[in-house]
Amino acid sequence: MAKVYLVFTTNHFPCLTLIVVLPIFAGSLIFFLPHRGNRVIRWYTICICLLELLLTTYAFCYHFQSDDPLIQLVEDYKWIHFFDFHWRLGIDGLSIGPILLTGFITTLATLAAWPVTRDSRLFHFLMLAMYSGQIGLFSSRDLLLFFLMWELELIPVYLLVSMWGGKKRLYSATKFILYTAGGSVFLLMGVLAIGLYGSTESTLNFEILANQSYPMALEIIFYIGFFIAFAVKLPIIPLHTWLPDTHGEAHYSTCMLLAGILLKMGAYGLVRINMELFPHAHSLFSPWLMIVGAIQIIYAASTSLGQRNLKKRIAYSSVSHMGFIIIGIGSITDMGLNGAFLQIISHGFIGAALFFLAGTTYDRIRLVYLDEMGGIAIPMPKIFTMFSSFSMASLALPGMSGFVAELIVFFGLITSQKYLLMTKLLITFVMAIGMILTPIYLLSMLRQMFYGYKIFNVPNSYFFDSGPRELFLSISIFLPVLGIGMYPDFVLSLSVERVEVILSNFFYR
Amino acid sequence: MEQTYQYAWIIPFVPLPVPMLIGVGLLLFPTATKTLRRMWAFPSILLLSIVMIFSTNLSIHQINSSSIYQYVWSWTLDNDFSLEFGYLIDPLTSIMLMLITTVGIMVLIYSDNYMAHDQGYLRFLAYMSFFSTSMLGLVTSSNLIQIYIFWELVGVCSYLLIGFWFTRPPAANACQKAFVTNRVGDFGLLLGILGFYWITGSFEFRDLFEIFNNLIYNGEVNSPFVILCAALLFAGAVAKSAQFPLHVWLPDAMEGPTPISALIHAATMVAAGIFLVARLLPLFIVIPYIMNFISLIGIITILLGATLALAQKDIKRGLAYSTMSQLGYMMLALGMGSYRSALFHLITHAYSKALLFLGSGSVIHSMETLVGYSPDKSQNMVLMGGLTKHVPITKTCFLLGTLSLCGIPPLACFWSKDEILNDSWLYSPIFAIIAWATAGLTAFYMFRIYLLTFEGHLNVHFQNYTGIKNTSLYSISLWGKGCSKRINKNFRLLRMNNNESFSFFSKKTYRSDENVRKINRGQPFVNIVHFDNKKPFSYPYESDNTMLFPLLVLVLFTLFVGSLGISFNQEGTDLDILSKWLAPSINLLHQKSKDSADWYEFLKDAILSVSIAYFGIFLASFLYKPIYSSFKNFYLINSLFKISPKRSRWDKILNALYDWSYNRAYIDAFYTTSFTGAIRGLAQLTHFFDRRIIDGIANGVGLMSFFVGEGIKYVGGGRISSYLFVYFSCLSIFLLLYTF
Repeated sequence: MAKVYLVFTTNHFPCLTLIVVLPIFAGSLIFFLPHRGNRVIRWYTICICLLELLLTTYAFCYHFQSDDPLIQLVEDYKWIHFFDFHWRLGIDGLSIGPILLTGFITTLATLAAWPVTRDSRLFHFLMLAMYSGQIGLFSSRDLLLFFLMWELELIPVYLLVSMWGGKKRLYSATKFILYTAGGSVFLLMGVLAIGLYGSTESTLNFEILANQSYPMALEIIFYIGFFIAFAVKLPIIPLHTWLPDTHGEAHYSTCMLLAGILLKMGAYGLVRINMELFPHAHSLFSPWLMIVGAIQIIYAASTSLGQRNLKKRIAYSSVSHMGFIIIGIGSITDMGLNGAFLQIISHGFIGAALFFLAGTTYDRIRLVYLDEMGGIAIPMPKIFTMFSSFSMASLALPGMSGFVAELIVFFGLITSQKYLLMTKLLITFVMAIGMILTPIYLLSMLRQMFYGYKIFNVPNSYFFDSGPRELFLSISIFLPVLGIGMYPDFVLSLSVERVEVILSNFFYR
Repeated sequence: MEQTYQYAWIIPFVPLPVPMLIGVGLLLFPTATKTLRRMWAFPSILLLSIVMIFSTNLSIHQINSSSIYQYVWSWTLDNDFSLEFGYLIDPLTSIMLMLITTVGIMVLIYSDNYMAHDQGYLRFLAYMSFFSTSMLGLVTSSNLIQIYIFWELVGVCSYLLIGFWFTRPPAANACQKAFVTNRVGDFGLLLGILGFYWITGSFEFRDLFEIFNNLIYNGEVNSPFVILCAALLFAGAVAKSAQFPLHVWLPDAMEGPTPISALIHAATMVAAGIFLVARLLPLFIVIPYIMNFISLIGIITILLGATLALAQKDIKRGLAYSTMSQLGYMMLALGMGSYRSALFHLITHAYSKALLFLGSGSVIHSMETLVGYSPDKSQNMVLMGGLTKHVPITKTCFLLGTLSLCGIPPLACFWSKDEILNDSWLYSPIFAIIAWATAGLTAFYMFRIYLLTFEGHLNVHFQNYTGIKNTSLYSISLWGKGCSKRINKNFRLLRMNNNESFSFFSKKTYRSDENVRKINRGQPFVNIVHFDNKKPFSYPYESDNTMLFPLLVLVLFTLFVGSLGISFNQEGTDLDILSKWLAPSINLLHQKSKDSADWYEFLKDAILSVSIAYFGIFLASFLYKPIYSSFKNFYLINSLFKISPKRSRWDKILNALYDWSYNRAYIDAFYTTSFTGAIRGLAQLTHFFDRRIIDGIANGVGLMSFFVGEGIKYVGGGRISSYLFVYFSCLSIFLLLYTF
């Protein structure tokens, strides 16, 4: 036993591989579980998720130095000799946040998926597979591995949406897969092109690639290719229409994963690949990025106001919030990038919680359209409270995480040396208009759902308030939101060092 | 003493445990928390009293030695960026602290009784304590970011409390309106903060002032940009203090419970805008444009608020417009650079208006037993009248508050308003005349409210009140009851509409209540509705002692708080307490030292302002004195109108004024059509664009590929004849091409 412990604590133990592989491996064991009903499967999945989360936390607590900007916990195994493909994992300050977020949100999403009874084996397996795919993506240090993980995580989402979704689930799932697979084509092309560029010895290692320089035209082409892939995922505006449909139809536990983590993969990729590998092209494109981000904030906010469907309204609100990430990435400053990172984490919590609450509300009242709802605050005060709190968090109330993230992005924009005063003024102004539009759609959503009164035709039995499970879930998301809002250094301390390293590329090359 | 300052950071956090505990309790252990119920009032009052004692201590120290104490914790996010959080205790802060705690305690005691029967009692208490926390945080904050944080938190408290009775649709609309309007102001505030950060690189008040003054002195700043930033900062204050373009939320905010109107929407939160401008006055004072702009906004608000208050039926709305007008006075004073008088008016007005609101709450409370719990009825002055007999103590308090607000000498508001009027004569005669005339209007509308509420006979009985139907057959005209019949004709249409909406609403309310009762038994958040109005001739009764006690305390404040600013000419030092209190801030502003109180000058101005106030009161009592008790007046009016040949034109003017006031100067309607309409239109447009064009392209591509696939499938269907046909046609085309 002591020996096992020793093995576990030494640095050579492949923590990351274990973390990446464990969920999908344990998930495939679900099919061998005895037929004892859904209860066993649920508990099994939850236990796996918890174990995974604990393992991740443990590994990060003991083997990760947050003041070290280098890649840590590196593992490098040669996988396919033929074209030099490595199983190369490693984390740094930028990826540790999303990994922990993934663990947290996925665990809660499996808890949220409690009511799923139809084909629950497959459902839970897919959840766990997604878990693996996401962690693998965030921790991969090899471009091809990155792509593989990116694709690995699409299939579970497609199945989850198409099998457990709402009425138009097939349409949405197809749309999702077409959009994202279309984006992946560009990703694959980019990966292959980079791999084939160095004719003498092709490499896909991030570290080596980060120091490589390309001819300007080639770099721009690479940049655009990767950008399209990530723009579909993030989403950035003309490519966003898969998101409201998918979110509108998916089961709310899937929505939590989609809004909480999947969207963040786009942002992560944008920083990890586009910023790190192509600094010149990025500094060339960043003004356009800012403009697109500013337009996206306004555009998505006002579209959200025009939505009748509750889930679509929230979906558009997350599109609008992604605009802040884009602006943060585009304003090549320390603060802007830190703000974008914080917004990734913060929106991961808030978006997931809002979709969860919308889903539970839908389960009770069975109404989709906002103008049919009304007056449900009286039977469901707890859901009302939580919904109000998260709406406030989403509209950037000070003291909650959204506010800090947006404020830091604002500062990043203001202190940016790159832009002229007028540009900065204009973009700040447009962003701030988004600040007015956000409460309009969120509060009118609250008003239409909860305020007022209404006589329901549905039998009374549907109207029970949120139970302990749901309450636990929303509170456990709410606490980190508050915590980050009060003391953002929790998250920022992880990323600050790494962000400096990334940005140093822009000044010394 | 140093220790007191050192521990001053605790001030905002002292009342915080109550909302936290109640919130956690209500979520996790609802039944246990609810059984404690009234017990929760004690800790919240106790904690607020501790803060009060603490801040009294600070204030005394400030008066004696007037030092500015600042303590800052730096909070580094990054190498090149550090936020600092801290607190700043200076005279302004200590004044606000005293104000918030004293009014807060009174309102808490009051609301213990006022809200006692409400199901949301605990929620109310939690919101109130949270509001105290954030307001205390706002006034003690030492930099702009901190101000912004608490600014938003106060706004949220206001949102939650306005929408406290969320089953009422008007309350739901009002709270959203309040939040969004305030957000427009916050938008300006945030941009202003960012702009000044860009200019000076600091958020700290004192650094900011210093750097900025240096920059101005050296002429290194781009002045249009500075003016823009300052105007944006001011926009925050405009929204919070309900100044002219963004005042629309305040009257609607009266949908909240009355104690809230007293605490948040009269005494403290709406004064936050004044506080902000006062805090940033060293910044604004070097930009003359912005000072003129501030005073212009102030004077517009004064006039607008007063004219809008003239014809309100709802007692609280009338008071709300009056609040707006009085805030305009403060803004005017700040725009004129007279820091001291603005703060003086802030203090006196806070106590007087809190007294008035609590008094009106007491009236509403006693009316509710008669007419039911609909705010359209219990707050309707049409149904009141003659309450003197039934609620004598409330009446006395309300009268004193009214007199104070009118500016009748021994009471508080006289001193401060007089000072503002004095200063305005020096500043600009036109503004002074407007402000002076508005003082008369103030007296008029305040006495209109007083007379309609307390004099005459109880109109509920007078109108043979039977239930829902007949309530609003009678409406008050602007110029009194004497000529109501005449105006009846003119306003038939308006009133009919009212009537319909009225009965419609009450019907809906009843349904909702039944609904509520059916669906859930004993769930929180529902107002208990008693249907006591079965007895046709019950009388309103005086409120409980718990409610009267705060009223009486506030009466004391109203009587004596004016003495803060009266200069005592003795022992050679003619400094009053307030000047002594504010000495460092005034010195900071490099103001010309006030010439020693010239009694002759003072008396002249005082007589002028008091005379216009008396004129307003006289006019009001002339017009609104109940008919039966003063036949003479009635005849006089009649004869007056008979004599006057231009009666029809006079009528028209009156009607126009009435319309103006009743429709809230058409500003709300304008906003509804323009801004709300525009945003809706934009939403529809983008939604359409999103659905039809962006999504349409995607779907079109999908559809096209489908058709292409089908076409290819059809072509490649395996029919030999078609293959042959294609083959031969191609061949023939090639042959043709080849031959030519």
